[in-house]
Amino acid sequence: MRHLRKYFTVFRISLENAFTYRSNLIGGLLFYSLFIFVFFNLWRAIYQGGRVAGYSLVQMVWYLCMTELMVFGCRSSIFGQMNEDVKSGSIAYQLNRPYQYVAYQFFNALGGVAFNFLIYGTLAIILGLVMVGPIPGFNFAVLPLALISVILGAVINFFLMMALGLTAFRLEENTAFYLIYQKLVFMLGMFIPLELLPVWLQNIAKWLPFPYVAWAPARLIVAFDFGLFWEVIPMQLIWAVLAIILSMTVYSYGIRGIHAHGG
Amino acid sequence: MYAIEAENLSKVYRTRTKEEGLGASFRALIKPVYKEVNAVHDIGFTVKQGEIMAFIGPNGAGKSTTIKMLTGILHPTGGRIRVLGLDPVSDRQKLSYRIGTVFGQKSQLWFHLPPTDSFALLGAIYDIDRAALKKRTQELTDLFGLGDLLNVPVRKLSLGQRIRCEVAASLLHAPDILFLDEPTIGLDVVVKQGIRELIMRMNREQGTTIFLTSHDTGDVEQVCRRAMVIDKGHIILDQSVKKLKYDYLNRKIIAVRFDTPPHLKAPVGITLEKLGKTAARLSVDTRICPIDEAMRWLIGQGGVADITVEDPPMEEIITAIFNTAGGEAS
Repeated sequence: MRHLRKYFTVFRISLENAFTYRSNLIGGLLFYSLFIFVFFNLWRAIYQGGRVAGYSLVQMVWYLCMTELMVFGCRSSIFGQMNEDVKSGSIAYQLNRPYQYVAYQFFNALGGVAFNFLIYGTLAIILGLVMVGPIPGFNFAVLPLALISVILGAVINFFLMMALGLTAFRLEENTAFYLIYQKLVFMLGMFIPLELLPVWLQNIAKWLPFPYVAWAPARLIVAFDFGLFWEVIPMQLIWAVLAIILSMTVYSYGIRGIHAHGG
Repeated sequence: MYAIEAENLSKVYRTRTKEEGLGASFRALIKPVYKEVNAVHDIGFTVKQGEIMAFIGPNGAGKSTTIKMLTGILHPTGGRIRVLGLDPVSDRQKLSYRIGTVFGQKSQLWFHLPPTDSFALLGAIYDIDRAALKKRTQELTDLFGLGDLLNVPVRKLSLGQRIRCEVAASLLHAPDILFLDEPTIGLDVVVKQGIRELIMRMNREQGTTIFLTSHDTGDVEQVCRRAMVIDKGHIILDQSVKKLKYDYLNRKIIAVRFDTPPHLKAPVGITLEKLGKTAARLSVDTRICPIDEAMRWLIGQGGVADITVEDPPMEEIITAIFNTAGGEAS
């Protein structure tokens, strides 16, 4: 228990740190609102009554608010920071400490992520309510279950990003990995629900980790059903565990041959 | 007992190389060509507990690579290391509780937060309980004259203030060995002196073993008792600073400007290296002509408009060492 204090402390400090980036936050809030507004109008034009892929307009707008919340909420500066640290050599300060580096970075990111979810979550709810009103048939009793999916989605995202980020220990340039990863999350469930894709692509996508970052939690929030819940949660659990194992593996491989620059 | 032992220590880096031109870029994309660089080549040394050791050499000589291997950050390609009896690679975590590091050009403090937050985090990382951390922070605050600096966001601190906080941060867990990599780089003379005194005090009062790299001769002369010189991955000299000072750190460079053209006739021990119309560059051999004597002679010439005294650059000293001692040590 005593050994866990370091991880709690970095969480607290990084949360404190998140409060210092004010202009960054204001920019993010504006960007989020603009994004939702544009898509709101697009969907309103597409919907001339009826449903699209089983979603009503209200559900679709809330879906978008939730997937965007996953993306904005999970944003963390630590990946860019890791790249910079390797390039500048500051990584030396982080590696010879008595902690498990990957676990430490998880709690380090968690401060900012918790802060983001609080702020963007509030904004998402306000925007959703203003634009289309509450989700019809929304049941607060199942919200905790949907939140499990939200947390698992964030965990999958963090450790996949971590595994990509840790390649910086060996590679000079790894930003392309982030881009590819983000585009895959965007395409497979963030901009448009998975149900809108051709069936064959849906079938492939459901075996990949990407839809479980944004699609699964958003879908469970806007239209919860137990069948889907039991289908999605095991997949999320499996991918979360695989992502953790992957990032640990990349770490132990990277640490053996790290290029620590500077001097 | 030795604090640090290194035997046949080597580090080979593999870096990608590419010839000039677009064609070569294409070829490198398909079949990359690697070049091996011997950053550290078969070096061995020991450092006693409580010793202050300087590790000097020009940029790219292998100083940082060696420090990073001793602290478990880089894995050696070959050889054996024992730091406090532990292997830095396999006992990295265990060792990290007992050593501290300061990298002069890098920061371990959170930029937007006051140092006290970073101290709290480091205290937690090193499993120091809160009461002990408070006591230790107070001790270091007094020793380093930090006062209210601990409550000011790091971004608002001057470089000198920040470095003092950095060094204090590295000492929170009372390490047995402190590794300092270029601790005084970019600091002004007064701050430099302050840092040097702090390092000496840590050594005197807490018995901390100091392993310091620098390419500032002042750090070495004033702080250290023993010095190793490394160049191109080889140790070319390992001796007491006293002897090093006598043999190699025996020159000062004086640049001087006069109001009116002077008639200089240099006394024994001073060489006129360059002479312009109203300016001159002199090299003083301080074994023959102490610096205050040289200054008095110069002022005696009358009409001095400007004067600077410098150490010869480390690169020059290394060349001198290499030319005389290079053969015997390697």
